[in-house]
Amino acid sequence: MRPLVKSILSLFLLVSLSGCWDQTEIDMKAFVVGIGLDKGKNEKINVTYLIANPEYGSQQGGGSTNEPATETITFEANDLIASRNLANTVIAKEISYDLLSVLIVSKELASDKNFIRWMYDTTKDREIKRNTPLLITEEEASKFIEENDPKLETRPHKYFELMFEHGTETGLIPKSDLIKYFRITEADADLFLAVFGTNKHRGGGKKGDGYLIAGEFQTKGKTNKTNLLGSAVFKEGRMIGKLTGEETRISLLLNDTADLPDYLTTFPDPFNKKFRVTTKIVKKGKNKIDMLYENGTPTLKVNVPLTIEVLTDHSMTNYGKNKVKRDRLKAYLTTRITDKINRLVTKTQKEFKGEPFGWSLQARKNFLTIDEYEKFDWMKTYPNMNIDISVDIRFGEFGRQSELPKLERVRD
Amino acid sequence: MRQSIFQKLFHNEKYKNQQFSEKDSSEEIAVKKQTISTNLNENLEIFSKLYLIPQNNDVNIRRFLVQGWHKEAALLFINTISDTNLLEEQVLKPLSKNEGTFQSVEDIVTAPGIKRVQVVEDVLIEINRGNAALFIEGDQQVYITSVSNFQGRGIDKAENEVVIKGPKEAFNEKANTNISLLRKKIKTESLIVESMTISKRSKNEVYVLYIHDLVDHELLNKVKERVTKINVDSIQNLSMLEQHIEERTKSLFPTILYTERPDRASSFLEDGYIILLMENSPGSLIMPATFWSFFHTSEDHYLRFIFGNFTRALRLLALFITLFSSALYLSVTNFHAEMLPPDLLLAISSTREIVAFPATIEIFLMEIAFELIREAGLRVPSPIGPTIGIVGALILGQAAVQANVVSPMVVIIVALGGLSSFAIGDIGMNFAVRLSRFFLILCASVFGLYGLTAMFSIGLFYLLSLRSFGVPYFAPMTPKYTSGNDTVFRSLVWNEIFRPGYLKPQDMKKTGDVSNGEKQGQNRN
Repeated sequence: MRPLVKSILSLFLLVSLSGCWDQTEIDMKAFVVGIGLDKGKNEKINVTYLIANPEYGSQQGGGSTNEPATETITFEANDLIASRNLANTVIAKEISYDLLSVLIVSKELASDKNFIRWMYDTTKDREIKRNTPLLITEEEASKFIEENDPKLETRPHKYFELMFEHGTETGLIPKSDLIKYFRITEADADLFLAVFGTNKHRGGGKKGDGYLIAGEFQTKGKTNKTNLLGSAVFKEGRMIGKLTGEETRISLLLNDTADLPDYLTTFPDPFNKKFRVTTKIVKKGKNKIDMLYENGTPTLKVNVPLTIEVLTDHSMTNYGKNKVKRDRLKAYLTTRITDKINRLVTKTQKEFKGEPFGWSLQARKNFLTIDEYEKFDWMKTYPNMNIDISVDIRFGEFGRQSELPKLERVRD
Repeated sequence: MRQSIFQKLFHNEKYKNQQFSEKDSSEEIAVKKQTISTNLNENLEIFSKLYLIPQNNDVNIRRFLVQGWHKEAALLFINTISDTNLLEEQVLKPLSKNEGTFQSVEDIVTAPGIKRVQVVEDVLIEINRGNAALFIEGDQQVYITSVSNFQGRGIDKAENEVVIKGPKEAFNEKANTNISLLRKKIKTESLIVESMTISKRSKNEVYVLYIHDLVDHELLNKVKERVTKINVDSIQNLSMLEQHIEERTKSLFPTILYTERPDRASSFLEDGYIILLMENSPGSLIMPATFWSFFHTSEDHYLRFIFGNFTRALRLLALFITLFSSALYLSVTNFHAEMLPPDLLLAISSTREIVAFPATIEIFLMEIAFELIREAGLRVPSPIGPTIGIVGALILGQAAVQANVVSPMVVIIVALGGLSSFAIGDIGMNFAVRLSRFFLILCASVFGLYGLTAMFSIGLFYLLSLRSFGVPYFAPMTPKYTSGNDTVFRSLVWNEIFRPGYLKPQDMKKTGDVSNGEKQGQNRN
């Protein structure tokens, strides 16, 4: 036989012997969008799959199906890798984590001392991406998934993608990727913040916007009950507490590893107690952190530069024109914000005995060797540190039109 | 049994030496070698026999009397390929009216080209070229006057290499016209037109064009040697000649450039390339050819620097889309679904769900259908051309999707790839890219992205191994040569200082120190 025939035959044999190992036709996969993890019996976990229906709402020309957008299934499994095959006793298609866009864990499981063991399973599976967000729920994850019923973003991957994207922009929830969880847990110096959500309504939300945590925010109308607000605090890979929406925002202000924040928030009007001023807080630069090491107790000096835009002026003060009042407003805001930050810092020192601000990263610069830093033991030393917070406020614009008419003349 | 089939398939060499019952033509050859006799009738007898007159309808013998000499004479010519008016005006009239007795034929005949031949064979060659042979009683010479007039079409617009800004004329089937078009562009005495007869029976001629004081003579000898080594009865045109002289006849990729544009050919000539022209070929062969010469069009240089490079970028994009679109679709959907944005992933998944075939078969179905439409569209007689369009568009675009034979995404992918393939203008490169696409699809369907990249690397290795008349296929990019750096992108016109170094031209520089208009102005001040 000629060499050409030989080579073609051998190529054919080669191909038939090998190849196509991990080939799966795209329509033969069931795409899991969300995995819910709950505590089961005997160190097992209850796994909930939220499976997207590709046929739902994918046809532009109106040829949509009567099938629902999602399918959910909950069962007991050893881990979320073995569960892939178990699910196939019910689900017809091969389970795929390619589209996984949220990992939902109940508060109960997250607080378990063994939680970290299951979390590291996600590093083992090839299909789970490290940028998958982690969501902690007040109730059981399976219940959360079942009762989550978005009215307009009915396709689940879109719903979670948009919720996390805009939630982190407003700062009411932190950005909580798996990679961040692993990094902070392994560095063993800071605390990790995960998104906290629920679709239970507890009520008791009288404290005003931003002071709340998920479940306290009151809404009316026909909409989804789910709300994501505030954060769950993780120390050494295990949940130890919660932060409200406002505390989450402040902790992101203090954290230079977070995206530069841009928040809308209100303060009581210093010139008229009846009203509140709405402001936009923008952080344009990085914090300045100095560590002083005197008389045994280290002191951390943190300077937070903020740009504040005053967007409402219900007391008709006309800040843009009035320097004296502007200075009074600045002094007022500085003490108020510093006060709030101090309160959070004290809370982290006393309650959590650790900080979620990523300060350990900047403090490392003050040590000559890694050994020295490790000996210092940031996590242990933090609760006893003197933290000296100062806030620098610069005013931005006072709304698009800074001037307001004189009230007396309008009412005349 | 099986053995014999294989033998038949792969041992066809023995058929080459088989004996056939052929007629012995040694008698005829002997006649052709003899010289012309002084007897006019005898001569005419020989030629009548050779040309089978009077069965041979358009071969004419015109007998007449030369008054001055009182001698019989005869004109032999083929009236379909010679200009009879010219013959009458310049040969017949002067001879028959001549009354002087001492002039020679050259003095009487007013035709500009006249020469004497003595051997029958040479006379035949001239007559077959459309010239007229003048026999005179008692004369051993035959006088050949050049009155040839072959019919052919005039100079048309280039149809396959269209440009918007630039000369529109194209080569036609007459070699003389083609040479004239080239001489019009290169007005130098160094432009040499050599002619060589390459086939034994049909006596086809090849014109080798080069610029004497630029071309590398070693290269020239290599080309000439390869052309003269051909031993066949007939080579009708350049497309056939190309297959006789190219280096790798079984390769996917062409190694000789074919162009129908005289401006393109002349710009290659001026860089030290060698051009072949032939009668009956509305084009020219340019050698040696590199990958880049197939990738470029003449318009790249006619357009201004940025516009020209923009079209180059588009063409590069089109090249990669043609190569990769289908293969990438297959490998991503079958092996690496996580690469797709979620919405697209679900959209593909939902449309695939009701399609009967695996994605690989789906892609092959559409690819083959597209190639069929293309081939059929090319061969279809123009009155029914629109039908093909309607049937093709309807069946493949609409009905195939509605019938769940293919998914809409595959129609988009294949159509995009097919459309992009048209951006590669050269037909040889076009075929090469279209065919190598199938290899990539095959590899992608078996090994995913890994197979795709592996196959592409193998393809690149293969391309790098190619040579055209000793010139590496990717020169001057790799291996590096001094040149105008005209590869993927071109440089500014006045920065293209050097001729391509891989041709070893006798003069490397093609611009002086100041070749930029702006700089020239500064110098004057």
